[in-house]
Amino acid sequence: MADRTNSEMVQGTLDMLILRTLVTGPAHGHTIAHVIEHMSENVLEVEQGSLYPGLHRLEHRGWVTSYWGTSENNRKAKFYKLTAAGRKQLTTETDRWRLVVAAIGRILGETP
Amino acid sequence: MNLKRLFRRSAEDADLSAELESHLAHEIDDNLARGMSPEEARRQAYIKLGNPQRIRDQVWEMNRIAWLEDTWRDFRYAARVLAKAPGFTLVALLVMALGIGANTAIYSFLDSLLLRSLPVSDPASLVVLNWHAKPAQQDFVMQSMSGDVEDDPKLGSVSGIFPYPAFEILQKSDAVFSDVFAYCHTREVRAVSVAVNGQADTAAGELVSGTYFQGLGVAPFAGRVVLPDDDRVGAANVVVVSHAYAEKRFGAAASVTGRLILINNLPFTVIGVTPPDFFGVDPSSVPDFFVPMHANLVLGAGDAFGFQPADYLDRNYYWVETMARLRPGVSLEQAQAQLAPRFQHWVATTAQNDQQRANLPVLYLKQGAGGLDTLRRQFSKPLYVLMTLVALILAIACSNVANLLLVRAASRRREIALRLTEGASRWRVARQLLTESVLLAALGGALGVLVALGGIRFLTVLLAGGSNQDLLRAELNWHVLAVTAGLALLTGMAFGLVPALQSTKVDLVDALKETRGSQPRPRHGRFNFLPISVNQALVVGQIAISLLILVAAGLFVRTLSNLQSVNLGFNRENLLLFQLNATQSGHRNPEIADFYGRVRQRLAEIPGVQSVGLARGSLIGGEDQMPISRPGAPPDRATRYLTVGPQFLTTMQIPILSGRDVEESDRPGTPSVAVINERFAKINFPGENPLGKHLILGINPGRDMEIVGVARSAHYGDLRRETPPVVYIPYNQGYPLPNEMTFALRIKGDPLAFVNTVREIVHQADAGLPLSEVRTQKAEIGDAMHQETVLAELCSAFAMLALTIACVGLYGTISYTVARRTGEIGIRMALGAQRGPVLWMVLREVVVLAAVGLAISLPVALGTSKFVESFLFGMKPNDPVALGTAIGILLVAALLAGCVPARRAAQIDPMTALRHE
Repeated sequence: MADRTNSEMVQGTLDMLILRTLVTGPAHGHTIAHVIEHMSENVLEVEQGSLYPGLHRLEHRGWVTSYWGTSENNRKAKFYKLTAAGRKQLTTETDRWRLVVAAIGRILGETP
Repeated sequence: MNLKRLFRRSAEDADLSAELESHLAHEIDDNLARGMSPEEARRQAYIKLGNPQRIRDQVWEMNRIAWLEDTWRDFRYAARVLAKAPGFTLVALLVMALGIGANTAIYSFLDSLLLRSLPVSDPASLVVLNWHAKPAQQDFVMQSMSGDVEDDPKLGSVSGIFPYPAFEILQKSDAVFSDVFAYCHTREVRAVSVAVNGQADTAAGELVSGTYFQGLGVAPFAGRVVLPDDDRVGAANVVVVSHAYAEKRFGAAASVTGRLILINNLPFTVIGVTPPDFFGVDPSSVPDFFVPMHANLVLGAGDAFGFQPADYLDRNYYWVETMARLRPGVSLEQAQAQLAPRFQHWVATTAQNDQQRANLPVLYLKQGAGGLDTLRRQFSKPLYVLMTLVALILAIACSNVANLLLVRAASRRREIALRLTEGASRWRVARQLLTESVLLAALGGALGVLVALGGIRFLTVLLAGGSNQDLLRAELNWHVLAVTAGLALLTGMAFGLVPALQSTKVDLVDALKETRGSQPRPRHGRFNFLPISVNQALVVGQIAISLLILVAAGLFVRTLSNLQSVNLGFNRENLLLFQLNATQSGHRNPEIADFYGRVRQRLAEIPGVQSVGLARGSLIGGEDQMPISRPGAPPDRATRYLTVGPQFLTTMQIPILSGRDVEESDRPGTPSVAVINERFAKINFPGENPLGKHLILGINPGRDMEIVGVARSAHYGDLRRETPPVVYIPYNQGYPLPNEMTFALRIKGDPLAFVNTVREIVHQADAGLPLSEVRTQKAEIGDAMHQETVLAELCSAFAMLALTIACVGLYGTISYTVARRTGEIGIRMALGAQRGPVLWMVLREVVVLAAVGLAISLPVALGTSKFVESFLFGMKPNDPVALGTAIGILLVAALLAGCVPARRAAQIDPMTALRHE
């Protein structure tokens, strides 16, 4: 929490990360936030306030579907599941991301 | 903000709240596990999530924008899809534009006719005073009248004219009315000569009571209006002119106040101009000027039959029309309940015997906001008929486009299935398809407005018959446009919904397995228990509706041809008619008869004019009635008379059966004569020779006339009625004295080529006398059948349109069937089926569809054709010829439409067809 700038994410990357976490299987919002933070070794901190609008946006575009189920804590929770379109979208996004990162890396590498 | 709150109550928001609750619960669980106190765990969880309210707002906002984006994307996608199939789009757009345009045009007429209010202050509180009575064949309190009495199927005889003393009584109804005012257009003002700076012209005036303008609440455009003090015996001659007339005759409306004009050669001072949008109280007759009621004494003074001062006191002479303004808070029913007994009491005192007392007129009030309903009576029924027909056409158009969409949707099954597998919801895809049809309808509606603009202009000319075009003023106002927009949206939904729901009900695996080139398997409709598909049901509906329109067209066309083939009894070809009213330029009896005689002489001298006749009116323009009988016998009310000049019957080529025509030698001073028609002879002189017998016209002492000729019965009065018994009497042998006269010129060649010569001759005879109603006899008869002609022509056009659309639908459906069954037919033919049976197999479907359509609509046609009975002439509503023709045309058209695909089926080459599979 001390260093908020670290946690700010590039626009659009949150969607990609959410889709990525769902590749392994359906999950609910709280888990998704934790998985992202955990997998990034706590570099990325998900601002929980923007997680839910993001999930709704993905659902609306048909990339995820949702259902109510029971969580590992034995609580009612809303689970999100990747659709075929979502899987395709994730591939596209990932490819694009790699391209951009590689390009930026080249620029940074050439600059003294 | 309201929308937000509304949204919050929605299920989606409740779902989000629950989700956030669940998130907090999990976070609190984690925090507790980390060893925080329950309060701290809760606080930290809330801090980390942030304000749930804000998240909910954010999601709401996102959904709203997403919805707009989706809609926009749907529209763009729809536009792309439509642009990719220009043939389909063009046909669908054309069909929609015609359907919506025709509906808009006709609706705009109904709108202006039924919903327009008088341009006066608070029109809603105006009422029109009327009376009704049993149709008076016998003695009636209304001994004489000037105005209209209508036949109403429910009320009997209906009229809005009252004796002046009745108006004075009604004027004292202060308790219910704040104003009572009267007006009329008796012959003193109906068509008079108005001279401005020595230039004479015919104009139409209105006599108005001093309370007229106050009662209507109309303020003058310039000068002042007629006031109560102007409307009395001996007041100065004043006139208020309409804005349009002031512009026409003076060039400018603002500066005419104080000018002097001559009305029938009498000087009147212009005191004011009415506002531009004011047209009086009767939309069907727009006056050029308004004079105080009592001016009729001055205007009628020189005329033997003109208005007499005693007429103001006559309680049995009906002539003034009356309107009133209800006091605030008084309803029409209350006013009627108060006034009816008062009128009843008064009118009872005017009855002179028991027969009159047995059938007294009963007062009743009508809404006056729209003014008098003359126009409505004249046009609303044909407009309702047309409205029904165009609505039916729109229904056909919709079902046709729905059919096109269904066929298209079938060929787009792969695309739709793909979108469904990609996770799009069924609703989402249906919405996309609906957007396409709504876009189609919206574009169709926009084009329809253009069609309507043209249609309104066309219909105005057509309905009004050229002669009185400014009566019907329909326009596209926001009201009409709103209806069009609604109509477009509704039709878009109507023809889009079924295909959208149908085509999203795809069996995904099946659809995707189909190869691109193959045709989908026969798909039956939603209602699988029916042996027909949705396509077929739509085609059956189109056929059924087409038959209805065809039957209507058949009835109207037959009516027109019946009317056209009415045996007139005179020769309508090569006749030029025009009207003169020499009283307008100061001619008076007895000199006026000589004047007309001189004009007739001069006209007869024109080379090319074979003979000239003159009569009080044209043979089909109207009819005159007065008691005529053999001496001592009771007069027959059916008898009509016509005052004529020499050689009238000869000119009209009405054969004289015995005796002679009215001749030059029948003049003032010689014994009074008459010529009767065959019908009159049969009724009044059965088995006798009428020549030399006498007739009495009028009562005590009456005009004694000797019958000098019998003519073959020729039409007189309304074309739709049987020829009445008629007596032709010389116009210059006494009562009734001549007034206006219609001249008829029998001409060798084109009658209209003589108009200028005729004008010149009349101008030489009297420079101040205007010619009016110049037309050929043929044109006059054409005008008289105007409504029938319009209905027949429009209906035929509509029937053609409906039939074409239905046949296109049929063709499409059958072609689709054939294409679908190509493989099957190929196998049959490979197994030895002949071309004949294959042809029949396809045509059978056509015949079955047509038969089902007919079976549905025939009973409907039989049941509904009585609604147009009043438009028909010379036949019954269920005319077998009209019905038979309609069925015949429909079957032939259906078979023709089915023939092309059937031939295609019969020509299928088995080898190609099987390879195709």
